[in-house]
Amino acid sequence: MKPVIAACSVRGEARCSDKDLKAALSQWLATPPRRIDRMILQALLCSAPLKARVRSDCGLYLASRHPARATMGALLDAVCVHQRQPKPFEFVNSVSNAAGFHVAAQLGLEGPNLFIGAGTNVWKQLQALAALDLSDGVITQALLVVIDENGDFQAQAVLIEAPTNAQGFAELTADIEVLQLQAC
Amino acid sequence: MTPIYLQRGALHSALGADLRAAGAALQGGQRPVSGSFLLHELQQPRPYLAVGGCAENRPQRCDRLLGETLGEQPGELDDCLLIIASTSLDIDDLEQLIAAEGGFHPEHSTPLDRLAEDLRQRWGFADAFTLNTACTSAANGLLYGARMLASGLYERVLVLAFETPSAIAQQGFGALELVSPSGVYRPFHPERDGLILGEAYAATLLAKEPGDAPLAKLLGGFSACDTSNLTTTHEDGSHIDWVMREALRSAGVDIGQIGLVKLHGTATGANDRAESNGVRLLFGDALPPLCVLKPWLGHTLGACGLSETLLLVENLASLPGVDYAAEALLPLIAQPTSIAADSLLLANFFGFGGNNASLILQRCTGDQA
Repeated sequence: MKPVIAACSVRGEARCSDKDLKAALSQWLATPPRRIDRMILQALLCSAPLKARVRSDCGLYLASRHPARATMGALLDAVCVHQRQPKPFEFVNSVSNAAGFHVAAQLGLEGPNLFIGAGTNVWKQLQALAALDLSDGVITQALLVVIDENGDFQAQAVLIEAPTNAQGFAELTADIEVLQLQAC
Repeated sequence: MTPIYLQRGALHSALGADLRAAGAALQGGQRPVSGSFLLHELQQPRPYLAVGGCAENRPQRCDRLLGETLGEQPGELDDCLLIIASTSLDIDDLEQLIAAEGGFHPEHSTPLDRLAEDLRQRWGFADAFTLNTACTSAANGLLYGARMLASGLYERVLVLAFETPSAIAQQGFGALELVSPSGVYRPFHPERDGLILGEAYAATLLAKEPGDAPLAKLLGGFSACDTSNLTTTHEDGSHIDWVMREALRSAGVDIGQIGLVKLHGTATGANDRAESNGVRLLFGDALPPLCVLKPWLGHTLGACGLSETLLLVENLASLPGVDYAAEALLPLIAQPTSIAADSLLLANFFGFGGNNASLILQRCTGDQA
């Protein structure tokens, strides 16, 4: 059994607007969720193409280097500068695991749903967390997702069905064809 | 699941300067005195439970907490994983910066692993990461940290959980109308009117061996995502029921063996209804003693999985009751109650993002303690 089932990597330039991302996502999801922010869009963009391969007893292990900057900016400006109440949907979207919730809801995942801050060892850490649930039989698949936006962005998703221990995305997906997408 | 020991623990909370002081206040029935903040625009006060009496900033506080947990001579930490469980992280710094500079710029955004990496470098941990699953962050930190130990990845895991006072959290929960206007924290009361946020800093050292004076054993647990709604779980309690059953299964424990349930009990309308239904689905009419701890600490959000766990296992000899037990959705304990020290404990923690988690714990007694 090959542990890696499928993978997708989405790149986008800094000029990609949220509207562009929504348009790109509509190719993969018939009814994308409303009022979602950029990080949620990015997580969905790299995960939705794998939907046909995902079973319900799948866990989600998601990481991002930064929070969605536009959401954080809107919240901080409203609360700390203008002394206004935040918009409820912006506050709810600012919860780090909001992206995980939407991915799980759209792909029908019923397993654990974890979010970690992405650092140098992010792929090793996600694999270690997923390996616990795979080894214990809590799930039969794990979806690993990493989002990194620093000017341009990259969102990568890998679907596995057994514990892995690769150094990073390239090693993890070395034996399969990765779906490469350019958001805009 | 292989049982894992909570070898040591530390807690700084509104209830007390340390875990011992918090326990004394809990057993003495001395509730913390809440401060308040004003909701923007509405200019209405809402309660807040802050940690008192110390001028430390967050980094100093975290360093002290780590020192208290690891002991005076922690030695090399190159066998120890650090897990930070928090929703606030460095938002306190950002809020001050943005207020001072008059607006947010993208370069203000700090990496989500910044604090974990800083502590890893300064303290020499083998690895570190930030786990953020809203109000189940620390519960998941305990559960996954313990299982990482059991799988042999590390010899020790330190879980550091904290929530700092945050204007974003205060105003955000206020905007969702989830913060109690009355300032009376009454989980499961038919006229409950919301939560009271609380500041807390907690840490525990997990290991396969008990050490000199272990606090408790984590025997099992389960965590999963309910995708029905981002801010609430299935109101019929079915997802909560399933999560609790899976937690029991992971620990190899039968329902009838549970000696106490520590409820999540936010005192918000939907959460308490869902948890009440879930608990009744699981236990039927044979309900074990049920307790709530948020009235004593406030809702410490991402830290509650550890702040409430530490307070619980240290105070089984006298857990507080509530004076509205007869009216509550669930039959909460009404008087200070002593639970057998070796009782099996089920502790619930639920959060935004659909995250529901339950832990099975047992206080260490006798020779182990």
